[in-house]
Amino acid sequence: MSAPESPAVIENPKPLRLSGSRPFTQQAGVFIMIGERTNVAGSPKFAKFVKAGKYEEAVSIARQQVENGANVIDICMDEGMIDGVEAMTRFLQLLGSEPEVAAVPFMIDSSKWTVIEAGLKCVQGKGIVNSISLKEGEAKFREHAAAVLKYGAAAVVMAFDEQGQAATYEDKIRVCERAYRILVDEVGFPAEDVIFDPNILTVATGMEEHNNYAVDFINATRWIKANLPHAKVSGGVSNISFSFRGNNKVREAMHSAFLYHAIGAGLDMGIVNAGQLEIYEEIEPELKTLVEDVLLNRRPDSTERLVAYGEALKAAGGPAITEKQAEEWRSGTVEERLTHALVRGIDTYIDADTEEARLQLGRPLAVIEGPLMAGMGVVGDLFGAGKMFLPQVVKSARVMKKAVAHLTPFMEAEKAALVAAGHEVKAQGKIVLATVKGDVHDIGKNIVGVVLACNNYEVIDMGVMVPAEKILERARAEKADVIGLSGLITPSLDEMVHVAREMERLEFKVPLLIGGATTSRAHTAIRIAPHYSEPVVHVLDASRAVPVTSSLLSEENKAEFVTQLRLEYAAVRKSHSAPKQPMVSFVEARSRRTPIVWRAEDIAVPSFTGVRVLDNFSLAELREFIDWSPFFHTWEMKGVYPRILQDEKQGAQARQLFSEAQALLDRIVDQNLLTARGVHGFFPANAVGDDVELYEDGSRAAVQERLYFLRQQANREGSEPCRSLADFIAPRETGLEDTIGAFAVTSGIGLKDLVDRFKSDNDDYNAIMAEALADRLAEAFAECLHQHVRREWGYACEEQLNHAELIAEKYRGIRPAPGYPACPDHTEKGTIWRLLDVEANTGMRLTESFAMWPGSSVSGLYFAHPQSRYFSVGKIDRDQVMDYHERKGMSLAEVERWLGPNLNYEPAAAASEATVS
Amino acid sequence: MTDIQHPLHKILEDRIAIIDGAMGTTIRTYGMKEPDIRGERFADAKKDLLNNGDLFTLTQPKMIGDIHRRFLEAGADIIETNTFGATSIAQSEFFVEDPREHGGRKDPAFYQKVIDDPFLGNLAWEINEQSARQCREWADRIANATGRQRFVAGAIGPLTVSLSNSPDADDPGFRVVTFDQVRVAYKQQVRALIAGGADLLLVETIFDSLNAKAALVAIREVFDEDGLTAGNKELPIMISAAVGRGGETMISAQTVGAFWNAMEHARPFSIGLNCSLGPDLMYPFLEELSEKANVAISCYPNAGLPNPLSPTGFDLGPSDMARYLSEFARGGLINIAGGCCGNTPEHIAAIAKALEGDPPRRLTTHDEESSLLLSEGSR
Repeated sequence: MSAPESPAVIENPKPLRLSGSRPFTQQAGVFIMIGERTNVAGSPKFAKFVKAGKYEEAVSIARQQVENGANVIDICMDEGMIDGVEAMTRFLQLLGSEPEVAAVPFMIDSSKWTVIEAGLKCVQGKGIVNSISLKEGEAKFREHAAAVLKYGAAAVVMAFDEQGQAATYEDKIRVCERAYRILVDEVGFPAEDVIFDPNILTVATGMEEHNNYAVDFINATRWIKANLPHAKVSGGVSNISFSFRGNNKVREAMHSAFLYHAIGAGLDMGIVNAGQLEIYEEIEPELKTLVEDVLLNRRPDSTERLVAYGEALKAAGGPAITEKQAEEWRSGTVEERLTHALVRGIDTYIDADTEEARLQLGRPLAVIEGPLMAGMGVVGDLFGAGKMFLPQVVKSARVMKKAVAHLTPFMEAEKAALVAAGHEVKAQGKIVLATVKGDVHDIGKNIVGVVLACNNYEVIDMGVMVPAEKILERARAEKADVIGLSGLITPSLDEMVHVAREMERLEFKVPLLIGGATTSRAHTAIRIAPHYSEPVVHVLDASRAVPVTSSLLSEENKAEFVTQLRLEYAAVRKSHSAPKQPMVSFVEARSRRTPIVWRAEDIAVPSFTGVRVLDNFSLAELREFIDWSPFFHTWEMKGVYPRILQDEKQGAQARQLFSEAQALLDRIVDQNLLTARGVHGFFPANAVGDDVELYEDGSRAAVQERLYFLRQQANREGSEPCRSLADFIAPRETGLEDTIGAFAVTSGIGLKDLVDRFKSDNDDYNAIMAEALADRLAEAFAECLHQHVRREWGYACEEQLNHAELIAEKYRGIRPAPGYPACPDHTEKGTIWRLLDVEANTGMRLTESFAMWPGSSVSGLYFAHPQSRYFSVGKIDRDQVMDYHERKGMSLAEVERWLGPNLNYEPAAAASEATVS
Repeated sequence: MTDIQHPLHKILEDRIAIIDGAMGTTIRTYGMKEPDIRGERFADAKKDLLNNGDLFTLTQPKMIGDIHRRFLEAGADIIETNTFGATSIAQSEFFVEDPREHGGRKDPAFYQKVIDDPFLGNLAWEINEQSARQCREWADRIANATGRQRFVAGAIGPLTVSLSNSPDADDPGFRVVTFDQVRVAYKQQVRALIAGGADLLLVETIFDSLNAKAALVAIREVFDEDGLTAGNKELPIMISAAVGRGGETMISAQTVGAFWNAMEHARPFSIGLNCSLGPDLMYPFLEELSEKANVAISCYPNAGLPNPLSPTGFDLGPSDMARYLSEFARGGLINIAGGCCGNTPEHIAAIAKALEGDPPRRLTTHDEESSLLLSEGSR
């Protein structure tokens, strides 16, 4: 609903701020909708439920209103047959347990003060009292206002005094001003919390003195906004059209035309049926004129004329007005249809609409640069404003891609003609994206690619495990404007440094973007940026990719952006050079190992030793183990499953994403589109210092393999132990026969085919969805296998954990993975591969960076001791690194390279490199 | 808040004020046992009392005084009374048989008996008044010795019952206690704290904003009924919530922005966060409060998460806490800093030392506020 023009009002009015469990702040120029369906006077259905004590149904009406977009819901129990205090209390207490509804502020609506006070005692947020007035004199008015202030609510103040309801303009402003002075000057009520209701009274009643009621309300509104600083104006809109009961078409037109004019005069909010409002611009012109004649009191016969129109409409049977046709949008212009399709992500008609636009505009590029980009612009704006979420944007991109695919042959033909005529052709910007050598993770990079493509950048996605020279060769050949690198595992960070150095050496001039889960602004600023003279920018998430890229490619903004960036990165480098974390010496750390009293009864004995393979594991079983929260994080939706489904802002989108995920998962499971394969084993083991020896057999005579662990050294205050995973295996000198387990699982077999199939169909949405689901299945596999293992180990036969408890890992034992905080050295995966013969048993491979191929794989170790727990090794000092290098027989430089993020010192090699640049 | 500037306000203009650490977890380090808390007076109590730490105020006043002294010597400007659970409602947990043991339930009828029970009422009054007196005495003693004024905050805890939550899975509309019962219990606590000489009232560790609202209504009613408003002698109110990972109050799930909107009407002296998950996750929520609220911001988190292996029972040591709070100070987010569970006098000393010389968050005056609005409006 937009206003015709802003009236002359007080400058800088303070917005109304309210809250339920979420804050609500009035936005300038945005009308606040107050839902009216939980009002026994406004909704017979609601009244019926309350009277019958069917509160569950009554609560569902409140929920619908919030879903329909009501910012605040009005709750009224004023009815002869209802005990107001009891009903108000009970209903509000029930709403308190409905997170979706409790998020919004409540308007406590009653003509009885006792009911209002009862309501105020039930709301934790800041609501609105509706209403107080001077009806019973100044003393009562003051008393009630002070009480509202004491409980913390805003108040609707009716234009009503000892003489009765103010109907005329003069009476309305006189009563409102008097009330305002008492509230603000005497009671100390915040002016911005005073909401006047200057009485919307019914027009077109046939009585001449009623004809100016709408005009009087509108003028009083304008006067209040101009003369009573920060005060707000509200009204019960449906009153205006009461004389047209039964004729919804006329009523809706009256409501929307009235609101249009009243909002223009400064009306801040109104009680309306949020689901049923005609759009002002869409009222039939004839009806609009008739309605406005009545509302604005423009001619003496306006009432008769509108009544006649209404009768004729009824006689004609009238169209079914409230039934909005789902496909109504198909009747718009081709531009409107394309925008609608893009915003809603509907691809049903996209080819036909695109073709129609091409024929109209003559050139295929004109379609892209015109309606399609305009549509994507709307998508971009909505996304930027937080009104659309990433999954919707990716769907929009799918529609966009289909439209572009339709146009491509025409463009190729055109381009060929242009090139033949000797012209050069250039897109808005060309970006080469790649996941660096040794790393296989690419969901995040794919999302960035899609979002950039939506914004008319030409994206060349080189896929995963791409060596530096290939990336740079391609960037040269394509004359790329930007290069983007992605990586998930820590060794990829070094590879990114390598790419940056190569770009410097080869005298590249294009900016370098850095993204992926382990990357950070600090790492980019400190480790990567110093090696390359051109801008190196860390891109936090997909939503940042477009602004960063457009700034870098913009002639006017680039200089400022880069200067700002360099300042920021210099600051990051400076703060990083601050004193290191306090450390304890490695000798001391060793003396403070986890205090465990070794007892035979805590040692679990597995039902077998050796290796077992699980081929073609049931996906149906695995899906039960999925932890969904990270799935939403993949889509850049922050929150915890299942609560995110009820989230105020993103709940609707989360529910849709979830149901689409379920649909694809159904297909994956039913048609076996992915294969899950795993291997695990138990090995006799004992700890020796910080190492764990794995023996060939139960005699423990010959060592088969050795696992090397690191120990915490940083920030160990007081008697905090310095933990190492080695602490959780019985030391050899205890004489106890302990066991360690190992596993490697994947659900990524078949994933590439599936993703490629989606991609070739221009369906990036499902391509990303498939990768995200495969990742979840792999994690679920690890969880599921861990449960089997705990049973095989014999100590968890009694364990009865529900899904949430499993996710929260409320069981005995841990399964840390190399490359993660408790065991940051990725190369330990090599030992697991040898132990379990993973490659031969499952087909999973390790890359040169010790990433697992295919993606969607998990590997790790099992510890069963009741005191074993997860922890983070954190920073380690040179003394431990020296010891580790000697124990493990790996060169110092190599140890420092693999453990770079954990070092609490500048390694010699890195330090000398930094001085070079 | 009164119109006359409170002396604490002057301090906040120059520096970050320090509030003390935890009573409960510091008491633990004294190795007190069940007979110690009972003393003679409660020797015959039927239930275990060791977890009723407020009772030490009456049975071990020397130890409690020692803790107050240590916090003051550590540099606390504000010490809290040992009255976190000193209401008839909270005390009933330790002195009244639980009806659930006999198939009954706790409901408003049960709590009405609690509110009307003279033993519980007198006990609650006595703890509050005595504790405020003990704090007053130590605060003044150390103030005289050091030449620095110290303040006593009357601690008003969250209660053991929730006004927003139903314990009955079959009836989400059920509440064990009514708003008015909670309000009455709080009113008694507020009056006793004032009678004992508290300088400030601290509604803290808010899990449920509706409980907090009842406390604020109680305070307002005491101010009005006892002539403090008329005499311009209202005590400054400090409000502090305990929020979870998503920044919502732990029980009623209200986000900090919504919380500020719901508390602003009480015109508090300060608003802030305490307890909960420790300092490491607090930054964004403090930042949000600091942006939105035009009053002082307080922050006294737990010393990290519970850790049974640590002597205080919590993860973070003095230097960790000092580091986190310095970070908040550098971010310009806080005016009052200290610690909650797991923070000993050593923690507070480290925090006070680390914040020495750090500028406080700028307090916006009303003029500045309107000029801010102006610039917002012209955007």
